[in-house]
Amino acid sequence: MTAPLLTVSGVHRSFGAVRALRDISFEVEPGTMVALVGRSGSGKTTLLNVIGGLDRPDSGTVTVDGVDVTALDEDGLSQLRRERVSYVFQTFGLIPVLSAAENVGVPLRLARVDRPDRERRVELLLDLVGLAGHARQRPGELSGGQQQRVAIARALAASPRLLIADEPTGQLDAETGLAVMGLIRGVVESEGVTALVSTHDPVMMALADRVIHIADGRLTT
Amino acid sequence: MIALLTRRARAQWPLLLSLLAVLTLGATLLGTCALLVTHTSERAVEVAASRADPDDVEVTAYTVTIAAADARSVAADTRTVLTSAIAPFSATTSTRASSNMRTLPSHTDEDRGLLSEVYLSGVDGLRDQARLIAGRWPEKSGDTVLFDNTARLLGLKVGSRVHLGAELGRDPAPPMNVTVVGLVHPLPDAGWDRDPLGGTGYDPDPKDAVYAQDVNAYGPFLVTLDDLLASGSALDRLEVTARPDLSAPTGPALDRLRASVNGADRRLGGVLGDRVSIERVASPLPKTLFDDRSQQELTAGSVLALALIGILLTAIALALAGRLTTGVRAEESALLTALGTSRGQAALAAAVEAAALAALAAALAVPASSVLHSLLTHMQPLAGAGLAARPAVTGVQVLAVGCGAVALALLHVGLAVRPVAAGGERRGRRELLARSGADLLLFALAAVGWWQLRAQPAGAGSRADAVRVLAPALLLTAGTALTLRLLPPLLRRAEGLAGQARGLVLPLAGFQAARRPQAYAAGLLIGLACAAATFGTAFGSTWTVSQHEQADLSVGTDLALTLDAPPVTGQSAEVAAATGGVISPVADRNVAVGQWLGGSGASPRLVAMDTRHAADLLRGRGSDSVADGLTPASAVTGPLLPAGSTPTITGTATRDTPVLVTPRLLLQDDAGLRTACSGPPIVLDGRPHRVPGCVTVAGLRLVAVALPFSGGWEGQPNSGIDITMTLPGADSSPGSAAEPVTWSARAASAEAGQLTAPAVTAAGNRLRFRADVQFADPADLSRVLVATTFPDPGPMPLVVAERFATDVSARAGTKLSLTFGLTPINAVVSRIVPAIPSAPGSPAALADVDTLSRVLVAHGDFDSPVTGWWAGHARSADGLHLGKITTRTGETARLVGSPLRSSLPAVLKVLVAAAVALLLGGVVLHVAYDVQLRALEVARLRGLGMSRRDIRAALLGEHAAVLLPLIVAGALVGAIATWAVAPLLIRSDTGAAPVPPATAHWPWGAFGILAAVLILGAGLAVAIVVTVQARRADAAHLRVAS
Repeated sequence: MTAPLLTVSGVHRSFGAVRALRDISFEVEPGTMVALVGRSGSGKTTLLNVIGGLDRPDSGTVTVDGVDVTALDEDGLSQLRRERVSYVFQTFGLIPVLSAAENVGVPLRLARVDRPDRERRVELLLDLVGLAGHARQRPGELSGGQQQRVAIARALAASPRLLIADEPTGQLDAETGLAVMGLIRGVVESEGVTALVSTHDPVMMALADRVIHIADGRLTT
Repeated sequence: MIALLTRRARAQWPLLLSLLAVLTLGATLLGTCALLVTHTSERAVEVAASRADPDDVEVTAYTVTIAAADARSVAADTRTVLTSAIAPFSATTSTRASSNMRTLPSHTDEDRGLLSEVYLSGVDGLRDQARLIAGRWPEKSGDTVLFDNTARLLGLKVGSRVHLGAELGRDPAPPMNVTVVGLVHPLPDAGWDRDPLGGTGYDPDPKDAVYAQDVNAYGPFLVTLDDLLASGSALDRLEVTARPDLSAPTGPALDRLRASVNGADRRLGGVLGDRVSIERVASPLPKTLFDDRSQQELTAGSVLALALIGILLTAIALALAGRLTTGVRAEESALLTALGTSRGQAALAAAVEAAALAALAAALAVPASSVLHSLLTHMQPLAGAGLAARPAVTGVQVLAVGCGAVALALLHVGLAVRPVAAGGERRGRRELLARSGADLLLFALAAVGWWQLRAQPAGAGSRADAVRVLAPALLLTAGTALTLRLLPPLLRRAEGLAGQARGLVLPLAGFQAARRPQAYAAGLLIGLACAAATFGTAFGSTWTVSQHEQADLSVGTDLALTLDAPPVTGQSAEVAAATGGVISPVADRNVAVGQWLGGSGASPRLVAMDTRHAADLLRGRGSDSVADGLTPASAVTGPLLPAGSTPTITGTATRDTPVLVTPRLLLQDDAGLRTACSGPPIVLDGRPHRVPGCVTVAGLRLVAVALPFSGGWEGQPNSGIDITMTLPGADSSPGSAAEPVTWSARAASAEAGQLTAPAVTAAGNRLRFRADVQFADPADLSRVLVATTFPDPGPMPLVVAERFATDVSARAGTKLSLTFGLTPINAVVSRIVPAIPSAPGSPAALADVDTLSRVLVAHGDFDSPVTGWWAGHARSADGLHLGKITTRTGETARLVGSPLRSSLPAVLKVLVAAAVALLLGGVVLHVAYDVQLRALEVARLRGLGMSRRDIRAALLGEHAAVLLPLIVAGALVGAIATWAVAPLLIRSDTGAAPVPPATAHWPWGAFGILAAVLILGAGLAVAIVVTVQARRADAAHLRVAS
């Protein structure tokens, strides 16, 4: 049996009187795609932020690829996100002034990859997400689906072990959303990446290997 | 609506506070400038008047030829006219009167045609104008006091009773007797130059000598004024001087005083009628007050020009704040519009908010501007100029503050109701076109303003015209707008370079700086504020340096003394001891060039000084080499005469009737000052005759002798002359001079042909003069033998000012015929220079005083041309009461620290401070807004694994990439505006172009401090904002976004 890539154990997180996460514990196997499902305000984003080191739990631990995220300092968390964890945001999160290729190259620049290697990798990833012909276009010149595909390419650029996608289809129509989820499903299979995707779309859930439900900050399954 | 506005105000109080701060700052600036150009400006005129030199505000009435019976009434009426002209100011009056000439029988020899004449004088305040040497002051009728030298010449002493003959002229007053009760010595600078004999006490050739062939005039016989008016003597001249008390004047009263004094001459004529032959009221007061008003208006214009820059900056800052407000409220506005709020309702809401802000800003700005103005007046230079004032509120100030606040509030309303481009990222084509058109219009207006400033005449009026007020602001704004056009290409180039880096920080900063649409208002504010601060700093320096240069060239040396009377033997030592520096006698007189006496209100002037010491003496731009080539090749020397020695003259004439000679000796002291000493008329009878009283001090050398011969009409027409002059104890060694003493002789007027075969020989301590003289020409000057220890110097080399050269069409090498006094001088132009020290702006020429003296002496003119002294590296001139003293430092202080000018440097300080404050405020506003807008983006970068440190670095780099070029470009624009405009804005205290022309001056130290303040201040502001925002950007933003 392989060791879990992600282990969440007894995580609590409150914002004032609001208890966003209550005793969350689960594990995710490497190379799987997990759907985190819940209604708005159920704690999905908070949980993803805690797992990605963008937020700290009040108690409990999170281990990603053998690294205790909750024990890392600021620099350690930044390194974690550069090397092991990638994000795909609901609102795409692309930098408006950068072209599609430059956006994809951001993680590679953070990792100080040489220019030739960087350019090759960017070209490969854009080709992977089907945007090889849009490399020079800026986010404002791309459709929502195209922007999200750029965001996925950027998330894969640094070859992360864990891909966190927070409602990646939330701002897309059903058809485009399905295509994006299909793309994530594809890279999980082709790149061996572990994906944790929050959604409340039953169609999307069907593409996942496993579904975790969360309501009022608690896991329900 | 009010409820909505109130709630919104509570929620957005930091934003409204920043708007209020900008509004208040602008209104305060306006109020302060209004106080400076009204309250302080008017006060400056009053202070200037109260500090005016008494000589510059006195009013003098001159009357001539008054019958004895009218003397009292004329004096009284004249005083009444003057005091009424000066009312309501109180005034002190002083009267000086001199009688017609009377004969002095005891010293008159009618058989020989010799007449001695005297006159009475009555002087108010005699005790302040002369020093009592012996006896007492005159107190009662018949008492008189004499100058010591007059008494010596007449052989009188205290107690002598003198019989004065009848008056000369028609209807003469009868003879009278006076008793000498005291001897006095006239004090220098006490008005004796207006005495009939100039305060000399004796004149062997008075101007009115029409009664006899030889006339000696003596006087004055000083009596009390009442005694003179009651003596029955007709008055030759009567002058009444009134000195107004201007210690507490008001501006309107000064304006009325000026008009009243201008009309006093006409009123005096009407009052005196035919009791006098000539009457005239002369006063420098109207011109002094007019000049003060002109200078006040000139300064007010400059203050307005600088204030306009400040107001413009404030308006741009408000535009920036308004833009940020609009951006912050964009969603709210969209929601209200979606809910059905009309544009008119939005405008009304904005107007209500703006009115409240304007009212609040005005309420704050009125006291703030009063306090700021008061603080300014308590700082230099206003405090030093006597303009310190308590906080005060004036109507004009309140009006300016109110109007300014309302205007700025209207701008805010305009910005609030202006449609916002979608997303605020991309500007519409129409807006871009409008902006391009506005830029083009701005460039055109700036070019026209600059051209008009350049084209203004050198002697233009002093009033503040629109061009002078608008041009600086236009140029600065146009320059900044141009740099904003040039900045994007520059950033794109930088982006390309930054993109080469391997990491993310530098490329991200470069990409953001080059690709994000920067706020135009923020760029304009930062660039213009930096330009204004640079301009203000450099303009202040340029103005100050120009005042120094004007003062330097105006005085021409460190210390200039203008003598009240011709120089006397031994004066050099006195001047040297008093000043302690390198001294030079100076001649400064108007001359005629050919038949030309001058034009455009300026007469040609000849300035002559000791060019051997030019480096130590001359000051002012270009003075280093102005005197090159003027110094004579060798110094003049002559026999050194021991102090107290008395030369004797023994001579014979072959004519059968007596021939008289009145010898004049030219003596030179160590400093090169040459003074003439006249001997008594001597009959050439073969016997020795003494020439006493000439060698009064040690160190005098005899360098020339003039021997004018006279002999009447009778007798043989020709005479051979043979004269021997013995110089007891004379040392004929040349002293420090290299050349041995060599005498040469010539006729002063060879062309008259009345004196031929002149010759001089020297043997031991004797000089022998020979000549053949004819007595056909009645003019005495045609029979003057001149013997000198130097040859005729020939044409005198001149360095002439450009204006002189232009006026007489002269070039280097042009030969000119000058008339100095009555003596013709041949001169040659050696060089043309922009200006002559001490005579800036005049058609002036510079010569060597030694050469000038030699030329004059060669023509028989032994009168000293010297009118003053210059001293270089002078300590002071305390105790030197020989005339008016002007110092370079004093003139500089007058120009720089004048109450009429000190508002300019003060408002420059305000402008620089306001520009720096607005720049830093603008940076904070812009960066805070920008970083806040991008909080989500920062959070996502954190999500991508970028550390806070790298985010801070990228943001700092991005803003530095924008701000630094803006600051540098602003500094360049300010420097260029200074170079192009500042020299044109500076005028002299008469409103004309300054001489020397002002040139931009770069205060590098101040620039360094300014740059450090701006860069460090902006850097610190950006760092704080970025750090705070980077710390705040966390998962909360992602959560909100999701």
